[in-house]
Amino acid sequence: MKKVKCGLVLSLISGLCMPQHASAMHIAEGLLPFNWAAFWFAVALPFFAWGLYRLNQRSREDLSFKPLVGLMAAVVFIISCMPIPVPFAGTCSHPCGTGISGILVGPAISVVITAAALVIQALFLAHGGLSTLGADIVSMGVMGSFAGFLIFRALRSVKVNMAVAAFMAGLFADWATYFMTSVELAAGIRGEAAFLPLFWKVLIAFIPTQLPIGILEGAMTAGMVVLLYKKRPDLLVKMRVIKAREVAVIGAVLIALTIFFSGVAPAEASKWTGVDEAVIEKIAKEQGREPKEPLINMEQGDLPLFIFLVAGTIGGFAAGYYWRVLIAEKKSPLCRGHAEPGPEISAKIRGS
Amino acid sequence: MHLLEYYASDHWLSRIDARIKLLVTLIVLVMVLSYQGVGFQLLVAALSLTLIINMKIPWRLFLLRFSEPFLIVLVVFLLKIFFSGHDPLYSFNVLGLHLTMYREGLAEGIAIGSRIMAAISLMAVLVYATPFTELMAALSWLKVPQGFIEVLLYAYRYIFVLFEEAMVIYQAQKNRLGYANFRNRLSSFGILTGSLILKAFEQSQTLSTAMVQRGYDGNMPLFQSRPFRSSEIFLSCLVVTVMGLLWGI
Repeated sequence: MKKVKCGLVLSLISGLCMPQHASAMHIAEGLLPFNWAAFWFAVALPFFAWGLYRLNQRSREDLSFKPLVGLMAAVVFIISCMPIPVPFAGTCSHPCGTGISGILVGPAISVVITAAALVIQALFLAHGGLSTLGADIVSMGVMGSFAGFLIFRALRSVKVNMAVAAFMAGLFADWATYFMTSVELAAGIRGEAAFLPLFWKVLIAFIPTQLPIGILEGAMTAGMVVLLYKKRPDLLVKMRVIKAREVAVIGAVLIALTIFFSGVAPAEASKWTGVDEAVIEKIAKEQGREPKEPLINMEQGDLPLFIFLVAGTIGGFAAGYYWRVLIAEKKSPLCRGHAEPGPEISAKIRGS
Repeated sequence: MHLLEYYASDHWLSRIDARIKLLVTLIVLVMVLSYQGVGFQLLVAALSLTLIINMKIPWRLFLLRFSEPFLIVLVVFLLKIFFSGHDPLYSFNVLGLHLTMYREGLAEGIAIGSRIMAAISLMAVLVYATPFTELMAALSWLKVPQGFIEVLLYAYRYIFVLFEEAMVIYQAQKNRLGYANFRNRLSSFGILTGSLILKAFEQSQTLSTAMVQRGYDGNMPLFQSRPFRSSEIFLSCLVVTVMGLLWGI
């Protein structure tokens, strides 16, 4: 009990100490001793190799796939650099973005995307490191991507709503990442101490930021998937997230709704008065200003047609009269007089 | 984002081949990680920090880069000092809780902290003295799969483009009362990231069309490396030998 209390105090301290751009998901360079760093590289290697194999396979089918994976890595990099507030901890943390990449391109290729984002972050921002790359790939790439992908697919297979499935995928991708990071951290820094007690302490220390950020990441993943579903369902079909049949059903529903409302709306609209009649005319009448007939009533007879005819005649006459000015070639700058001649022309003038 | 772009181009270390720098850095990094003690790590950290100061890195960039590792060191140090060991060093009460600092935890915390600082400063020297494209060429020479290097190159190229897009969208959202409260902030952030993914899809289509028109067949030609200079080989051997000797002491 005393140790749990101490853990809570420590979690509070760590929560307060977290920097504005906290990178709790990344294990810092040099934090793991050599044997643990090598072990996590060995664990990450088969997943990474599988991801590269899948990447090359899909790149042969579609030449735009490799650039797309590169750009997804850039997006994951930017997402995981963006601080968002954690209200309960009073700090900022960042989402990991691997849930969404797992959903969109599959877990194997998502491991490669995460590895690319991690290498750039390790080299240039000191978020994570080259020696801890294996551990970071396992926690963010493997655990995050696989958790996100499997939960999304499992929920979609039992016909759960797209937004709910994406929310759960983002949530569990984040929590799985933070769980694995705790395992790696506790194993790496425990020294001679027992593993489990330290693991629980690390886990508790992460809770103030990572528990709410998981919920936030879930909400954001849901927002992203729903946005793609609404704006570009064809992309989700291309990435094999949804089937073309679903898009056809949505399209048919939209067309049906459009037809329905295009028939119903004008009839319904006639029952409603405009703001001019409902507000302005009413207030004017209350002030004793009754509406009068307009001086030129455009709604009677063929007056608009007559005005259009006269304007067309005048326009046609003007265009015909000035056609040379309108379509003739522009004069050279030298002949215009006001323009500066170029150095070659100036030399010729001086020569002559 | 400007952290990504800094490169000390006029420093003597920048003129050394990137393959040599990467190889030496990785060897010294392995030494740092496998060393049982503090002395060697503190020496590597001191040497690397001296080189960084010698490169005239702006202080703001230096602090930005090192602030996060410093805080991680602090958290790990607290974890170790309060929860690791048996031999009490000092005890005190906070909010009715009795906290004890342990001697073994203090030693382990210092060891881990010095290891992190050595590794971080070593990597900083490599990055500040080598442009990204040369680093990628060096990774290719070390037989890192070409597909992965291509993904890295695309990612690095488009980080700046997408970051700029993100900033434009962010400013537009702010001007339209986005991020006004917590709920709104969440929704705005979701739209921002979703828009970024849409942009990434569109950019990848445009990019691949442009590349196919210029003969892209799915593989990007990578850089040709120049032969090593004998002075570079001598210097790298000297550094590795001296470091190896110090590591062995």
